[in-house]
Amino acid sequence: MNGRDEAQRERIRDFVSPVVKLLTKRKTTLLAASILVAFLFIAATGPAIAPYDADTLNLSHRLQGPNRTHLLGTDHFGRDILSRALSGTRITLLLGFSISAFALILGLPIGMLCGFYDKFGLIVMRFVDAMMAFPAIILALSLMAILGKPGILNVIIAVGMVWAPRMVRVVYSSTLSLRENTYIEAARALGMKPSRILIRHISINLLSPVIVQATFTFAFSIMEVAALNFLGVGIPPYIASWGGMMNEGRTYITRAPWIILFPGLFLAMAVLSFNLLGDALRDRLDPKLRRVM
Amino acid sequence: MFSFIARRGIGMLVSTFLVITITFILMQLVPGDPAAVMLGANATPEQIEQLRVSWGLDQPMLVQFYHYFTNFFRGNLGESLFHRQPVLHIIGQRAETSILLGLMALLVVVGIGIPGGVLSALKPNSWADNTFLLFALAGASIPSFWLGLMLMTVIAGKLHWLPSSGFTSILATGNLGNLKNLILPAFSLGFVNAALVARTARSSMLDVLQADYITTARAKGLAERMVIVKHALRNASIPIMTVVSFTFASLVSGAVVTENVFALPGVGSLIVQSVLKRDYPVIQGIMMVVAVLYVVINFITDLTYASLDPRIRYQ
Repeated sequence: MNGRDEAQRERIRDFVSPVVKLLTKRKTTLLAASILVAFLFIAATGPAIAPYDADTLNLSHRLQGPNRTHLLGTDHFGRDILSRALSGTRITLLLGFSISAFALILGLPIGMLCGFYDKFGLIVMRFVDAMMAFPAIILALSLMAILGKPGILNVIIAVGMVWAPRMVRVVYSSTLSLRENTYIEAARALGMKPSRILIRHISINLLSPVIVQATFTFAFSIMEVAALNFLGVGIPPYIASWGGMMNEGRTYITRAPWIILFPGLFLAMAVLSFNLLGDALRDRLDPKLRRVM
Repeated sequence: MFSFIARRGIGMLVSTFLVITITFILMQLVPGDPAAVMLGANATPEQIEQLRVSWGLDQPMLVQFYHYFTNFFRGNLGESLFHRQPVLHIIGQRAETSILLGLMALLVVVGIGIPGGVLSALKPNSWADNTFLLFALAGASIPSFWLGLMLMTVIAGKLHWLPSSGFTSILATGNLGNLKNLILPAFSLGFVNAALVARTARSSMLDVLQADYITTARAKGLAERMVIVKHALRNASIPIMTVVSFTFASLVSGAVVTENVFALPGVGSLIVQSVLKRDYPVIQGIMMVVAVLYVVINFITDLTYASLDPRIRYQ
């Protein structure tokens, strides 16, 4: 019992200490992590910390530049840009998370099976590669058209389908190299069932590349979602989103550039912090991945 | 070399086949009957049935797929529901803008990315290198359309140095000055991708510069410039080439939004308009043309690899 506790504690230490080291070793990583925590806080508290309601129209305050009452200015309906940008944080993180989860749920089993069973892999990976021949935004736009109405679920499916093949690729190539290990051979020699090998041995070791890829998926997908919203084919326009705000600001770009400037900065900060975190995780968890990703 | 080309050529054909198959499958998922959509709300069931027969929609799926496939190679991508013109014709009209924008953006990518990355690698961890890395990282995190809008506000709107939007064909007017309209879009599109190329160029140069043959080249008294250009850059070029060829897809993606921002009459703005109008034949036409182009470019990249590095041919 005691030994088990010890092992448990050891495992927790093994997990926690690299995280702490990771955060303190490089200043950029710490910065990225702080930005992320700030975004998570904004997403969690949402409207509570916003100075105004994100959707309240106030035509007498329309197109005001940044000032004391409206720190980041107002848009053509007199809505507060800061409040709308804060409100857009929640939907952005929600979509980024859902899309990464979607890519993971599809990509992990398919990639593992392809890497483990040669014949299955040979056929399926051809399809996966062909899926990747469609440039991201073209595929996402086409899927939005096929799925019909703009909507949150449709955006998750459309952008998720773009990133799932990339997740399959990463899982596939990692599984290919993992299965050459002696311990897998040993497990086979002991008569372990393939399903058990996949779950007990392969999937655990896939954790690092998958976490890294999921972080990058997050960064790319929120950028892509913003592009879809900017083009007016993403989530419905009545939900405040960074891409949607930039789209609405286009008509007033010379008179009120702040309508576009600030949501873009929010987006760039979020993408930057996820990219930095992805880089740091990759270098820390598996430096070999540098060549693949 | 011949067997290498043959193997890659077969791979390219398989990928083309799969790309067309995927497009076919996706288009089967479109809700509603295309014939009914084409004819509008006032059509009688007989008219719809007639059109279905003339399009072959009443035939089994496999027969439809066969026709779909052979039509692609005949250059028949169907007809736009909205413009009532052949899809390939509409794409052709838009191609000039997109190709010029793509080439100019590629020039920005290569022109900033490779020298930037190489110079950065020559003095690793210097302040110049760190500043450069910061720029590269920021560049990779900025949405290209946002950069485009900001450049448009400042350079076209405030300073009036360059036109802010629109583009008229050079082929039709013969006026090379129209290229000015593409400078801002190409820069905003290229800069973002240059960041990625620069990071790869830097890390791959750093790898190569530590190799023994570089030390040998220096030891035998070769001029440093020769060491960098002839020995290091050539060997570092494979990963750089890979990233540059990847940028094709990312340039196409970026172009869709950039063309929209700068009101350029290219294929990217065409697909956005078609998605908004649910003009499915145009959407699938663009999907196929772009994806097949991607497959072909990958094939060409593979051949270039083989000529840069003879070892690849025998793998």
